[in-house]
Amino acid sequence: MIQTHKDSYDAVIIGAGMGGLVCGCYLAKAGIKVLIAEQHFKPGGYCTSFKRQGFTFDAAAHSFGGYRKDGIVRKVFNDLGIDKKVNITRYDPSDIIITPDYNVTFYADLDKTINDFQSVFPDERDGIRDFFNFIINPDQKFFMRVRNWTFQNLLDNYFKNDKLKSIISFPLLGNGALPPSLMSALIGAKIFQEFLVDGGYYPEGGMQALPDALAEKFKEFGGDLRLSCSVKKIRIKDNMVTGTVMEKNGFIPSKYVISNCDSRQTFLSLIGRSKISNKDFLDTMNNMIPSRSIFILYLGLNNLCTEEVKSGTNIWLLSNYNLDNTYLLQHELNLDNACTMVRFMPNQKALLAFVNVPFRNKKYWDVNKEKVLESFIKRIEEKVFPELTQHIKYKGAATPFTLYKYTLNYKGAAYGWACMPSQLGLPDLRKPSFIQGLYLTGHWTTQGIGIPGVIYSGHDTAKLILRKEQRHTQSVLN
Amino acid sequence: MAVNVEKEIVSIISEVSGFDEDEITSEKNFFKDLEVDSIKAIEITVAIEKKFKVSVRDEDVPKITTVKEAVELVNNLLNQKSSK
Repeated sequence: MIQTHKDSYDAVIIGAGMGGLVCGCYLAKAGIKVLIAEQHFKPGGYCTSFKRQGFTFDAAAHSFGGYRKDGIVRKVFNDLGIDKKVNITRYDPSDIIITPDYNVTFYADLDKTINDFQSVFPDERDGIRDFFNFIINPDQKFFMRVRNWTFQNLLDNYFKNDKLKSIISFPLLGNGALPPSLMSALIGAKIFQEFLVDGGYYPEGGMQALPDALAEKFKEFGGDLRLSCSVKKIRIKDNMVTGTVMEKNGFIPSKYVISNCDSRQTFLSLIGRSKISNKDFLDTMNNMIPSRSIFILYLGLNNLCTEEVKSGTNIWLLSNYNLDNTYLLQHELNLDNACTMVRFMPNQKALLAFVNVPFRNKKYWDVNKEKVLESFIKRIEEKVFPELTQHIKYKGAATPFTLYKYTLNYKGAAYGWACMPSQLGLPDLRKPSFIQGLYLTGHWTTQGIGIPGVIYSGHDTAKLILRKEQRHTQSVLN
Repeated sequence: MAVNVEKEIVSIISEVSGFDEDEITSEKNFFKDLEVDSIKAIEITVAIEKKFKVSVRDEDVPKITTVKEAVELVNNLLNQKSSK
């Protein structure tokens, strides 16, 4: 459309994470010539699956939300025809939180969830109703006014009971890696809505089905997807992108470059400090804090009695109501106190569990991986499933270093930049004002996290570029 | 240094929303006309604060819903700054 010579593109997207794929699909569908270059041999980023000894495991993302009638994921999947390629089931209940005193459950039926919370905390009846109403129908302007609020501030607005506040925040500590006292109210509310109130969706065949369907659609729309294709440089001339340098294919010119990889890598390695005129921006980015990483346990199980386990439900183990402490103690890797999620996968043959942990380094995990893995199994046996060991046929784990190795996310960060109010909505991390033609998409853009967050981001990036291109086309026509 | 506040604000909104500067007239409502949501409204506020080196009070953020309102607010903040 814009470029015509061979091996040049209108847009090159670096990384085939969910954000990059969604962005690529919308652009290709609109007739833009797009290349997606992915360093891994499969698309998906954190949303991939893999096989070991006949068992299929989801690598990191293990279910998704935002698929209600007007949810962002449903809108995008409808627009792109993904819902025609993949069977999506909602598992009910989506999440159960087990604490030393109570169990609370998130059902597909919101009223049932509210009733469950109200029966456990009768004194907070009205606050619970108001909080859920706010979450499902948030006032956009309210969030503008409270942009500096933490999720704790938001909870204090509705509740008195500290245990209730901790229970509501607990899955956010797992799914966003911050305690309520540090997490932005806006992002916390989004996670609560998209992961919990509207969570539990799962594609038939495993999470890999989602990026595979997007990749297939992308090619049907005329896009080029190159796997095992590392990008070494983003070329900039006079504060404008000119293209990318691939490890194997050399320089590929393009008008737009969209980075679906982490922002430090984008600016410091792919572009290089010397090419960035805005030094204040580099200072800001150098002082930013990435989210914590996670340690993921994968177990292949046999002879699992389906009556014994609730597959497709995320089980959260809260052992200490003081979530600030839980967060601080992550450094010690004491699993008894850690924020833990356990999930029997919908195929009923595997178990996935994770805890938030600091990055450390490869050497640390080479030495400690087995130890953490064994104590993790022991904890699940004690808290969830006493006969676990006798069912285990395969055991493996991903450490923060594994996450880094496959996705190149800075310090194996599970959720991009930590979602604190001070790291919210920073426009230069999404579309830098000082480099024309460069966009970033995905969970490092400070717009949102998780599958709904990155799908929003991918869709939004495509919208920005298409509006620009429409203008270009119109000016050519006029 | 004289700054054309309106021009700069229109440019910021164009960057964040993707709409052409010509389309962003002073009365256009960010939410209704320019597909701005809460996260983009925060992006606009952050960009304004950085550009003009001002600090928008939390209670004033929801008042920024049109270019006209944003310009008024920024002019007030700049006047307060220069009179200090």
